[in-house]
Order: sequence, then C-alpha cells, then structure tokens
Amino acid sequence: MNRDINVKKMRLNCFRQSKVPGIFMLQMRVPGGTVAAKYLTYVEHIADTWGDGTFHFGTRQTFDIPGIPYDSIPAVNAYLEQYIREVDQELCGADLDTVAHEPHPWDPKSGYPTIGARNITGCIGNYHCICGNINTFELARKIEPIIFPSHYHIKINISGCPNDCNKAHMCDFGIIGCAKLDYHPERCIGCARCVNQCEHAATRVLSLNEGTGKVEKDPCCCVGCAECARVCPTSAWTRREQPFYKVILGGRTGRQTPRAGKMFLNWASEDVVLGVLKNWQKFSAWVMDYKPEYLHGGHLIDRAGYKKFKEIILEGVELNPECLVAEDIFWHETEYRSNFNVKPMSMHHKAGPQS
Amino acid sequence: MSYILNTQQADQVLGALAQTYGVYAPKRFANQGRYSATDCIRYDKVTRASEIVWQVKSDYPAKEVINPIQQAIFYFTEDEYRASKCKEQPILIFARPCDINAQKIQAKIYAGNGGFTDMYYERMRERVKFVLMDCNGGDDTCFCVSMGANTVEESDYAAAVRFSENGMEVQVVDPELEPYFAGCPESAFTPAFVTENELKVTIPDLEDKEVRLALKKHPMWQEYNARCVSCGACTVACSTCTCFTTRDVIYGDNPEVGERRRVTASCQIAGFDQMAGQREFRATAGDRMRYKVLHKFHDYKARFGDRHMCVGCGRCTHRCPELISLSATINKVNAAVEEIKAGMGKV
Repeated sequence: MNRDINVKKMRLNCFRQSKVPGIFMLQMRVPGGTVAAKYLTYVEHIADTWGDGTFHFGTRQTFDIPGIPYDSIPAVNAYLEQYIREVDQELCGADLDTVAHEPHPWDPKSGYPTIGARNITGCIGNYHCICGNINTFELARKIEPIIFPSHYHIKINISGCPNDCNKAHMCDFGIIGCAKLDYHPERCIGCARCVNQCEHAATRVLSLNEGTGKVEKDPCCCVGCAECARVCPTSAWTRREQPFYKVILGGRTGRQTPRAGKMFLNWASEDVVLGVLKNWQKFSAWVMDYKPEYLHGGHLIDRAGYKKFKEIILEGVELNPECLVAEDIFWHETEYRSNFNVKPMSMHHKAGPQS
Repeated sequence: MSYILNTQQADQVLGALAQTYGVYAPKRFANQGRYSATDCIRYDKVTRASEIVWQVKSDYPAKEVINPIQQAIFYFTEDEYRASKCKEQPILIFARPCDINAQKIQAKIYAGNGGFTDMYYERMRERVKFVLMDCNGGDDTCFCVSMGANTVEESDYAAAVRFSENGMEVQVVDPELEPYFAGCPESAFTPAFVTENELKVTIPDLEDKEVRLALKKHPMWQEYNARCVSCGACTVACSTCTCFTTRDVIYGDNPEVGERRRVTASCQIAGFDQMAGQREFRATAGDRMRYKVLHKFHDYKARFGDRHMCVGCGRCTHRCPELISLSATINKVNAAVEEIKAGMGKV
C-alpha cells in the first residue's frame, strides 16, 4: 500500500503501525481492565468488519484489534464513538473536549484524542478476589478523568492488595490497595493462624505472646495485606472501613535502565492519591518545558530529580494523618550497559523551563 | 398476648427492654467480614430493633452470648483466688429455633455432665430468656428439619417475634415482658416454623461397631488432608460445639498474680489433643474431620441418648474458607457406610 501516512499522528489516535505498511492495530481503552461484557461484541464487530478477525489482550489491558487498513480507520473511529462515550465519558466522567484539562474540542467521529496517558490497568480487586482490599476499577474510573485525555505520558497500574499481581512496581505510578487492621483480643483464641500466615505470606510482623495467648504486632512493618483478617477463624482481626494506598513510583521496563518502582507514599487516603495525580500534568509540563514528548513518567522524575518531583506533585495536597512520604528514593536500575549515565555533558537532559 | 409494632414502636419497646435486660441479637458489623467490603453478622448488645439483623442468618452463633470466646473465670494472688463476677443483667437473646435448640445441647455438656454443673455456664444461662426469631427459612446451608431442630416449645421462649420491613409482630409468653408492650396494637400473631429445608441430610446409620471401625479407616477422610486447613472456623461458628481450654495470664513479673481464662478451643486445630511427649491422637486434617463428624453424628447421641449434636444451622459450611460442606461430607459418610456394609454382607 502506497499511502503518505503520518504514523505519529496515527499513534496519537491509538492506532499502532504494523510491519505491513498501511496496516494498523487499534487499542481500545478499558480503564481498570473491567467493562461490561457486552463491549466484546464491539471488539468482535471491529475485528470482523475492518480488522483481520483476531483480537489481542493488550499488555496494558486494552482491547487490541490488529489488521486494520489505513483506509478503514475513519469508519472504525466513527463506530468507536459510542464505546468512547459510554466508557470514558459516561462511566468515568472524562471530559473529551479537553486535553490536559485545557479546552480542546473533540470530534466524536475522530476516535481517541490522545494516547499519552495510557490505559489504567487493574487486577480484579475486591470486586471478586478473596485477597483484594479495594475496588480497583472504581478507583481507575475516578483517575481516568484526571489523566485522560492528555499527551503527557503516564502508566498507572492498580493492584487490589500488596501481593501486587498487577505489578504496581513496574509502572510510573503504581497504586496498591491496603487495609489498616483492628485486633479484637476478646475474640482471639490464640491459634496463631494469623501469625503463621503473616510469616509465610507477608512481613512477619505478628507473634504469639505465650504468656497471654494473644497476638502482638509490629505495626511499623505491616504491609497492609489483611491476610490476618482473611485467615482468622473468629473475626478477631478486621479491616477498618477506610481503604489506604501505597504509591509505588518510577518502575519501568525498557531497553535502557529497567527498574522496579520504590515506595513514594504509604497509607495514603484516596483523596491524597487523586490529589497527587491532579498535579501530574503540571509536573510533566514543567519538566518538559510545556512540550509533551514521548517520554514516560519515570524518566521525567529522573530529569527533575525526586525532590523536585515531590515538591510539585504534593503542591496543595493535604496529606491524611496516617500518610507517610518517602524523603528520598534510591532506585536500583538494571544497567544493560555499565555506567550508562556517564556521557558527554552535551548529551545530558535538562529539566524545567529552558530560556 | 400478641402485638403488631411499627418500626418506631419496635425501637421504643427494645429501648425500654434494654433498660432492664442485656438485649443480645445478631448485629451487622460493617466491613468486618473475612473478605474486604463484606460484613460480619454476630451477636452483640442492641438497644434498637432496627439494629437486629433478621433477614439473614448470623455468621456466628448465639452461644457466644452465654459462652463468650474468652472469659476470666478467676483471679489469683499467691494462694488466694476469687471467682470472676457475672456483671450481666438479666439477658434477652433473640435467636432462631436452631440456636435455642443448640442451648439444650450446650446444657447437656455444661450442666450435669459427669455429675457436675459448670458455675460459669449456669450463672449465665439462668439469666437468659430467649426471644424466638421466626425463621424465614435460612439459607442453602441449613438443614434444621433433618436434625429435628426446626421447632421449639412455647416453654423454650419468653416471646416470639417476626420481623418485617415495617416493624415486628410479637407474641409475649412471659408475663414479665407484658408491661413493655402496654398500649401496643394487638394482633393474632403466633410464630411459624420452617417445615422443609432446601437441603435434606440423611443421618448415617452408625449403630454397628464393626461398621464404625471400618469407617474410621475408610479412605474418604483422606480427601480432607488436602482440602481442610484445620483453622477451626467451623467449630467456632458451630452453635453446639462446647470445647474450651484454660489459660493462665500473669499480670506482670510476679508469677503469683494473675487470672485464669476460659478460651474457646477447636478439635480441628492441630495441637488440640496433644499429650505429654507431643503425642497427638489425630495428627491429620482428615483424622480431625472424622472425629468431628462422628462426634456430631454418633458419639454424642451414644452418650446422652436424646439427639445428635448438630442442629443443622449450617454455619460450619457457611464459614468454611475452603468451601467444605458438612452436608456433602455426611453424604460421603452415607456412601462409605453403604459400601462397608455391602462388603461385610450386612445390607
């Protein structure tokens, strides 16, 4: 196919270039990885009508439909209107007539307006899972209007519990649902099932006091998984009603310096998590001198330095009393090439407004 | 006399009763369930009728009111001791027929068993009057009809209630409770009992000792070695289980000052039957399951004669985190017994 195609523009529209010139793959957003099953018929329709009849589970939980010819894209986008309206606009409350919260009218027949803020992924969370502490997709739907549409890149993964099946540790901004626990000694029979579970499955913070037959806890190192509540035969451990979150920052994969994220916030309230994310655009814009680049959040933190990041991202955020914040973060990168960061000064990146 | 009360009147009457009685009923503890965003329903003091959960069965049984999971039984200082005091007022317990029948079994164990009456049980039990909660059929783990525990006698309760969204109907049996209902609109209410459960359980025929011995060795129990996690949730949730252990708690660095507590114990938890030298009679989950099932469906009745030690409340099944169903286990016992009998030519 000989077509003059601006592939970067196609990418912004969530159509990914393929090995075959002129053939693209659509990526449909599924915030939190959960939508009504009826939308699978949309996937089927697009794949059968314009694609090659296959469907791929996107690694970021998008519905991926490959094999779409360039000429079919306007028809696909027109068909997508209802899905985008129902999922992003109605379910999540995203304002499609903005980009990064600046007015930017959306043509409903033009498909997705931006690709920057990636689909928010989530495990199934406490909607189903016996270990989950939070409803992951409800949180994702609250975050979606904060980060989308936007050209600033951010990958957000939400895990329902510290087991982190959804790999909050491997994205820019990972969120882990946690619980604070109450102990009711009058219901405790001293069976030590919680102690054993904490030892085998969590951070070993519980111990049985042989003198009292009751359980003692080192609250400092509790990871907030609530496995103690899950395994207790008498309901002597119970979760507090308010959910808490860990935010794991700056994890990434990639060809240069992959690394697991590190804890930025512990025991943050939902308001704090959402408040921090509201500052994300501002931080990204500042680092890149208000010119969005195809560059993910972790790299922006590298350029600005964690302390600058912390300053901007916490601006105006009222921390809940339980919330702990990392004073500093020391990531441990896998350097595919040793001394990766040692290079001529002319190759160094700069952060912040460039005059 | 019977009465019909709207929600406001019901709250008022409960409030007045709570002035004189410790009123205990199933109550919802929001978000305190085993899993996140689930509730726990267990017995606790109530002061309003609207606090009482009647729509569904409680996760934990009414026995917790009379035999709490933990209680101090005496305090000691050197060679002196004194029994704990019972601070309870007279008690009203709202309970379904299964829970009221379960107390008859509890009484067999605690009052008179071996010629001894347990003071701690007795002093609580004699304060208790039951308010029968008209059972709306329970859930699919219930089999009270199979166990003959679906009905109670009028002598078993001081009042009977049927809750609805609009309030409650009450039949007052005990004259002491009549004044609380003075002026309330009268009705012709009498309690109804469940006559059929969705779930029916056939009690295994374990009369024959040879069959029982063969059943003990039957491979059916091995399934539970892999499935049961020996957590004891079933026995804590059981309305008839009575086992406890005692535990001495020393207050400080002087070992001669402290208290002795009674704490619920479970035959399902490893170590329950540990003897000197660390010997255990039932070292595997399958052994412990067999012990429990045979105790409930043979041994108790063999000793006390009147009935089996299960009221079919289904809470063991309801609370099992590994989804082991007691009724399914009984069915397996029945199949094993048939097989054993056929092998012995006893059919």
